[in-house]
Amino acid sequence: MPDLKIKGITIVETFAEAFPMVGTRIIITAPTMEWALISARTMTGFATSVIACGAEAGIERTLSRKETPDGRPGVAVLLFTMDADKLQKQLRNRVGQCVLTSPGSACFAGLEGEKRLKLGAPLRFFGDGWQMSKVLGGKRYWRIPVMDGEFLCEDTTGMTKKAVGGGNLLVLGKSHESVLAACTRAVKAMAELPGVITPFPGGIVRSGSKVGSKYKGQIASTNDAYSPGLKGAVNSALPLDVEAVLEIVIDGLTADAIHMAMHAGIHAIAKGGSRTGVTHISAGNYGGNLGPHHFHLKEIVG
Amino acid sequence: MSALVFEMKDTPDQRLDLSPLVPERLNGLSRKDIQAIEIGTTRETLTVGDAFKVKGKNAQEIHFDGTDERCDKIGAKLAGGEIFVDGDVGSQLGARMTDGKIEVKGSAGVLAGASMTGGHVAIRRDAGDQAAGPAFGETMGMKGGFLTIGGDTGALLGERMRRGLVVVGGKAGDYAGGRMIAGTLVLRGGAGRYAGYGLRRGSLIFTEKPKDILPTFSDSGVMEFDYLLLLEKWLRGTGMRIKLGGRARRLMGDMAVLGKGEMLILA
Repeated sequence: MPDLKIKGITIVETFAEAFPMVGTRIIITAPTMEWALISARTMTGFATSVIACGAEAGIERTLSRKETPDGRPGVAVLLFTMDADKLQKQLRNRVGQCVLTSPGSACFAGLEGEKRLKLGAPLRFFGDGWQMSKVLGGKRYWRIPVMDGEFLCEDTTGMTKKAVGGGNLLVLGKSHESVLAACTRAVKAMAELPGVITPFPGGIVRSGSKVGSKYKGQIASTNDAYSPGLKGAVNSALPLDVEAVLEIVIDGLTADAIHMAMHAGIHAIAKGGSRTGVTHISAGNYGGNLGPHHFHLKEIVG
Repeated sequence: MSALVFEMKDTPDQRLDLSPLVPERLNGLSRKDIQAIEIGTTRETLTVGDAFKVKGKNAQEIHFDGTDERCDKIGAKLAGGEIFVDGDVGSQLGARMTDGKIEVKGSAGVLAGASMTGGHVAIRRDAGDQAAGPAFGETMGMKGGFLTIGGDTGALLGERMRRGLVVVGGKAGDYAGGRMIAGTLVLRGGAGRYAGYGLRRGSLIFTEKPKDILPTFSDSGVMEFDYLLLLEKWLRGTGMRIKLGGRARRLMGDMAVLGKGEMLILA
């Protein structure tokens, strides 16, 4: 069967293998968009992979004054972990250390849902008895006195168990420059879409991994099949003219959201065609036996 | 299906207890059954059929037309559905209601929204004493929901209120927020004397500086309150445009009791 091609770029017939996660969305507002973004970036810092960060998090999108509960500029943030307890702990610590502390900030629920996570509920004790509870339209908010006034924080936020982590695209090309440019375009296109984040630095990861290692205690190690410098020594997945590979990892509140993001990503990468130096678009999987979600590139393109 | 309408015939010579006329009770009843419901409050038997002309069918939307200040307990213990009143109402409008909506075009008597726990009561004109106060036999006043009063209120607005939001377009009477446990009053036309008397927790939000402030309220100065922005936007979502802005003077009190309440006077 001939390979599927878009503008000369080969879409490898494979699939991205993804895993169930739990996720939540919160809304951070501030007096200015600049400060809402500072707070959100701080909160989602060091959250590239659950392997060592405890959570995967990122900015979903910015929100206009019309979209936020208090009418100030805001940012929607997504946070993912592997189970509800870990998500609760990460949410408390990250909001407590990075949003509560941020000048002029306020924090609201960004997700409905039966399952609730505590948001302001544990943070209210920072008020040392001076905190005030306010209920508006069935939702409880906490007003916690701080040095620049009050930290306003909704009591709880929603949680979804239908989140998916590890949707991905691998981009292969004839130069590092071309692959980086293509991935940057893709991340930008995905950033427009609801319900997804790309948790790695700038949305892109260069150190794709395989499970296990020759060293004891090292649970993951470099993906040698995709390391261009090892083409001559290992069972490489790369053609000889591929100089660099970059990966975009996508976490989403639903499998559909990831599907849409991968679709937008592939088309953004392929925009300039093979002339840009991009040769292949592929995806990472573990043979299909580990993760229940399989995103076949062929279906996504079509 | 058209709304269930109760049109007042003549003014009965006794007060009426209209608490049975809520959707929960009327659902599925025939017109004959409805007309037989007793609503009198004296030894003289008085039924719905005696006092009202009954029209329509849908008990989820009930209309009262031509009622007066002797029609008590309209929407009491309402648990859902909508009630529209074209006229004045008597005491205990929406008392102990848990959900649903009541709209009154005229004025309400005493204890409007007393001990209500949810839903929305909207009174176009004035309300009597103890609006959002404790219903008979209750230790606490309003415990949740939303009460709006377009005109003035009597004394003791929000007495012993525990939770919920009250917005008054006109002037509140004396002792507004008296002995309030928690909750929020938005007072757009000021209040009489002794506002916040015995206030434990809760907020009295004045859009203009009140004339009299109890000496047991302690000034914390002016600062920004994101909460006011949240409240302003939430109110706009319900169709009320009230400019609250973010800045207010905060007075804490009543220091004669717990003192964790506040007056927020918009700056």
